Amino acid sequence: MLDLNEMILPKDNLTPLLRKLAKDARLIAPIKNSYGDTLFTVIDDIDKAAIDLENQPQASLKPYLLPQQETLATYRNTEGGYIFAEADEEPESIYFGVRSCDLTAVLYTDLVFSRPVKDSSYFKRRNKSLLITIGCNHPFSNCFCEASNSGPYLEYGYDLQFIDLGDAYFVSAGRRKGLDLLEKWLYFFRAVTDSDREKRYQLQLEVRGKFTQNIQVSQVCQLLQDHEVDDSIWRKLSGRCYDCGGCAYVCPTCTCFSVDDAAIDENHGLRLRSWDACTSSGFTRMTGGHNPVDRRTDALKRRFLHKLKYDYAEHGKPSCTGCGRCVDICFGGVDITTFISLAAKGETV
Amino acid sequence: MKEIFIPGRAIIREIVQENKQIKTFRLELLDKTQSFTFRPGQFLMLSIPHCGEAAISISSPPTALPLIDLSIRKAGVLTSAIHRMHSGDEVGLRGPFGTAFPVGNFPGHDLLFIAGGIGLAPLKSVLDYCLFQQEVEDDTVQRITLLYGSRTVADIAFQKAIEKWKNQGVDCRLTVDVGDPDWSGSVGLVTELLHPDIITPQTISLVCGPPIMIRFVIAKLLDLGQSETAILTTLERHMKCGMGLCGHCHLDGKLVCVDGPVFTYAELKLMNIMEFS
Repeated sequence: MLDLNEMILPKDNLTPLLRKLAKDARLIAPIKNSYGDTLFTVIDDIDKAAIDLENQPQASLKPYLLPQQETLATYRNTEGGYIFAEADEEPESIYFGVRSCDLTAVLYTDLVFSRPVKDSSYFKRRNKSLLITIGCNHPFSNCFCEASNSGPYLEYGYDLQFIDLGDAYFVSAGRRKGLDLLEKWLYFFRAVTDSDREKRYQLQLEVRGKFTQNIQVSQVCQLLQDHEVDDSIWRKLSGRCYDCGGCAYVCPTCTCFSVDDAAIDENHGLRLRSWDACTSSGFTRMTGGHNPVDRRTDALKRRFLHKLKYDYAEHGKPSCTGCGRCVDICFGGVDITTFISLAAKGETV
Repeated sequence: MKEIFIPGRAIIREIVQENKQIKTFRLELLDKTQSFTFRPGQFLMLSIPHCGEAAISISSPPTALPLIDLSIRKAGVLTSAIHRMHSGDEVGLRGPFGTAFPVGNFPGHDLLFIAGGIGLAPLKSVLDYCLFQQEVEDDTVQRITLLYGSRTVADIAFQKAIEKWKNQGVDCRLTVDVGDPDWSGSVGLVTELLHPDIITPQTISLVCGPPIMIRFVIAKLLDLGQSETAILTTLERHMKCGMGLCGHCHLDGKLVCVDGPVFTYAELKLMNIMEFS
């Protein structure tokens, strides 16, 4: 009997399959734009789209599932009252070419927005998404997903996982939605052979040897559970943080946000949610100017401890997925890997 | 799924000028099909047209429902906007959010309320609730004492409530940081009202005010032998959701909006927080 959980997609069939998928839903995949940047982009015409599976997308899926700014609700304030209304529905979306680290981040975000209450706006998008990941056969220079246990291949969480075998993709279904897709478009796929399985296994072994970074994520997570980080480390890091928020914006698991209202005209407005960053001083400043966090010493404390100490304590896993984007973006050089190496050296008390 | 950031419609029924900067807005939710209740110490997210939201403690007791009091000091854009509003105007309310004072544990205890300025607002909800319980139940709180500090005589807020409390047998002791010739009461910080005889083995202290006041009051209470678990306070933090999602009120692994705002000192001292650093 055919095992639908694992199938082979010959590479020649990829574009025809995606063309079909794009008819049923909004298709989003990493596209290299005219500036040479690879970003998740909505595909209008599959035949003209330059899907780039070679480079790491510069942004994760976050801008789609938790947009940089989104309308949570609209309101009017008229003679009839001060009344809010729900924002528009979201389209069904299929995301193709999602990296393992970014899928892991989505699973974490699912948790964050489920407790203690379910975030309706987030799940409005999330429930209409189908995620197709691509296992990484070549880690990028700043990646350390192996150390943060979020790649390069995944065991669960994806709807479909693609592994590049050279002339074909080894496709695994991880969730019902993925299985339904395979069933629906079965004629694009063929059955898995023993040789496909062997190839996949060999690739998985090889890629583990290709990581250039040795970041001691779990060691530091454990250390932080019962050790305080020396103040000198926090001061050193904070002194080089320029409050740009770049790390939080590119981070696939930074989900802190702000909610503000914006007037459209005298009687109408929008309730907007925007990304926020705990590294910025305005994040905790209260009306009247009082701020319970001293940026000079603690600018980065909350961010690193949240990811490596508190989330590890709560979920048994850090909320750093090792995607390495903050390493690329931090011009102060005080990204999470800098902190991990300082903390691992034992500058804790 | 209903959008969780949409507030319920509420109407301003009455406005009480508590001092030059503080007004109490007596609100009523319009939608009577949705049940609404809260516990003393909880807060609401208040929406004002074009100003967004702010977290505000409820200053009335649940026994006063359907009326809900929010006592607000004019400080920023939103609070200034509501200060310009009138009876009959509409605002939005989401909540209630956060933990409450453990009023269920209070029967048989003496309550010592220590507040500074607008800090009396969340405590007022508890105090009124306890007074209501005293009237209707036998097994209830014993002695109630209020120590209330204000900057100047003109800054003394909630005077109507304080007069009412005095008539109801609450031992109200007021102090001002800066006295004036017409003021015959105490002059000095609220900590100076903390005499040893105020604390009994049955005392539970409820503290709210500016961070520096909270810090010194708690230090003095501990000096006077008050146990760490019998000191309760409520923290103020910048908040955007009230539901444990936005991250703004994160505090050493906890979220003030869901794990607080009410904490015992025993809980607070385990955390690395500004009020005690």
